[in-house]
Amino acid sequence: MKIFLLAALAAYLVAAIHSVLAFLNKRLLLERVSLVALLFGFTMHTTALIVDWLQSGNYPLFYLRETLSFLAWTLVIAYGVAWCSYRTQALGSFTLPLVTLLTFIANVVGENASVAHGVITEGQAAWLFPIHTTLLLFAYASFFVVFAASVMYLLQERELKLKTFGAIFHRLPSLTTVDDIGSTAVAVGWILLTLGIFTGMLWSATRDGIFWHNDPKEIFAVLTWLLYLAMLHYRYIAGRRGRRAAWLGIAGWGLVLCTFLGARLMGGYHVFN
Amino acid sequence: MSIVLVGLNHKTAPVEVREQLAFTDEACTENLRQLIDGKVLSEGLIVSTCNRVEVIAATAAQQPLDCVSRISDFLGRTQRVPSDVYGKHLYTYTDEAAVRHMFRVASSLDSMVVGESQIMGQVRRAYALAVEAGTAGRVLHRLVHHAFRVAKRVRTETGIAASAVSISYTAVELGRKIFGSLEGCTVLLIGTGQMAELAAQHLANAGAARILVANRTHEAAKELAAQFGGVAVDYARLADHLADADIVLCSTGAREYIITPEMARRAREARRNRPAFFIDISVPRNVDPAVGELDNLFVFDIDDLEAVIASNIREREREAEHAELIVDSEVMQFQQALRNLDIGPTVSALRQKLLTVARAEYERQRPRLGELTPAQEQAIEALLLSTVNKISHPLIHRLRRSYDTGEAENMQAWRESFGLED
Repeated sequence: MKIFLLAALAAYLVAAIHSVLAFLNKRLLLERVSLVALLFGFTMHTTALIVDWLQSGNYPLFYLRETLSFLAWTLVIAYGVAWCSYRTQALGSFTLPLVTLLTFIANVVGENASVAHGVITEGQAAWLFPIHTTLLLFAYASFFVVFAASVMYLLQERELKLKTFGAIFHRLPSLTTVDDIGSTAVAVGWILLTLGIFTGMLWSATRDGIFWHNDPKEIFAVLTWLLYLAMLHYRYIAGRRGRRAAWLGIAGWGLVLCTFLGARLMGGYHVFN
Repeated sequence: MSIVLVGLNHKTAPVEVREQLAFTDEACTENLRQLIDGKVLSEGLIVSTCNRVEVIAATAAQQPLDCVSRISDFLGRTQRVPSDVYGKHLYTYTDEAAVRHMFRVASSLDSMVVGESQIMGQVRRAYALAVEAGTAGRVLHRLVHHAFRVAKRVRTETGIAASAVSISYTAVELGRKIFGSLEGCTVLLIGTGQMAELAAQHLANAGAARILVANRTHEAAKELAAQFGGVAVDYARLADHLADADIVLCSTGAREYIITPEMARRAREARRNRPAFFIDISVPRNVDPAVGELDNLFVFDIDDLEAVIASNIREREREAEHAELIVDSEVMQFQQALRNLDIGPTVSALRQKLLTVARAEYERQRPRLGELTPAQEQAIEALLLSTVNKISHPLIHRLRRSYDTGEAENMQAWRESFGLED
């Protein structure tokens, strides 16, 4: 299992380096190498997750190591979907380094033995927990795509407004394309987030009888949910798009990070020990 | 075998000189036949465009420089231009330098606008004329085909031709940066100037779906609209049509701003904030620069477009450095191929000679060997071949060395001692 994750890491590293190089000097060959390496890495990664699941008998999404690895995996899927629909290689230059970093950490981090796995595998509706976490990680991956698209939008818009085109200008996809990617990803991400929060509440309600614990992770999650709801409204209903929507996409990612990491530091119900 | 190149181009000669020396297609074939006598000059090719006149020739002469004066005289004689007019503008390259120059020309590294695409066709035409005249032989065939290969590599492996260097293409490129594909875009032309017409043509070719034309005189608008299958719209209701347009192209003689921030803002609202691209090629400007400060609206005036072009040209020049490396490596490859072309017949004659001797001796002794299985026959054939190869290998090696160092007498001595005279 470890060997598969290592192989995935190596392939992701190759893919990330080639993707960034392709972004800088736009050689077609580099893009192909990057895609092939990514496909190989993804296959290895999927195998690692399945083997992990079969060996331990637990859904491979609980410990920090597993969570990071799973997040990297969902990011690759999100990038894959975006690449298939828009052929935007540039997105890879943002996503793949993060994927590589997450996979690297997943490779070096050990399992925290003090964390009690039993907490989530016992009791009624235990099956809801993996669905809850999986949905949320896919939501995070979508929001990262929104973030990357927003950054690309702002870079591109700035260059067009200032009319001074740097080296990366020719590498970025068009404004309309990144705007489309962003608005699609935000809709997908928000739906996943809604379902994820909902399943979490359901799980908690059947297990403990309450669905709200007032812990930092929950509060941040609701803030994130509200912000992306505002962004959806802003884009689809008020018809406002462009620079301000892009800034919302970046702010949203900040909140996602707080939800994901911040809550770990602040403790509360979502820290299992 | 040597390659000689004599010519002048836009860098060394003013247009008054270039135009006097330029060849028409007919003159090319006719004069090539005169120049290539089959003795001193064995093959020839003339590249004549508005930016250059060059004669490339292959010669068997020991002193390629002798050919230079012959070609230079030929240029003056056929075009009836005294040599003091063009002589000082001429450059001459021989062998490796000539090959490099040819490759650089074909790859558009020597062009006025680096990376332009016409030169390929012009070289192809020049080659076709030389073939027609019967003055292209084994050296020039190779040279020209190799040059095409280099040009193709340069085009695909570097970004030398990737960015736009004309106003209309720059407009299309910028449109693509905003909208992705221009397919489905609506273009509004305001004014019917020639520049606008050209840019509109490019936008239409790039896939713009609908072209609206507005002009003070409605007749002119109708006329231009008919050209692109577009629609002439009422100039007085410009503000309303603005909401339909993704790309607005302005080129009128108006002295004041036609498009004000207020108009643009209202149009943007009607478009639900979809981006719009204003190209203002009129002087004085027709689009208030304040429009460009509004979100989702992008305004480029003529100076902005020129600045983009200047930066694209710099980008091409940066890419050209990468292209030079490709040319360098290809020149080396070509020189090697050319050497083989020259030395090849001698090498194969030598091996053939040795093999004939070996086979004859084998046939002589064959009856004494009695019955042989096919496998044994094959073994003997392999034995003969490898013996010949092992004997000839050091000889061929020496032969190539003599050739590389230009010891033609040695070459001759080798040929004679093996009785290889043709």
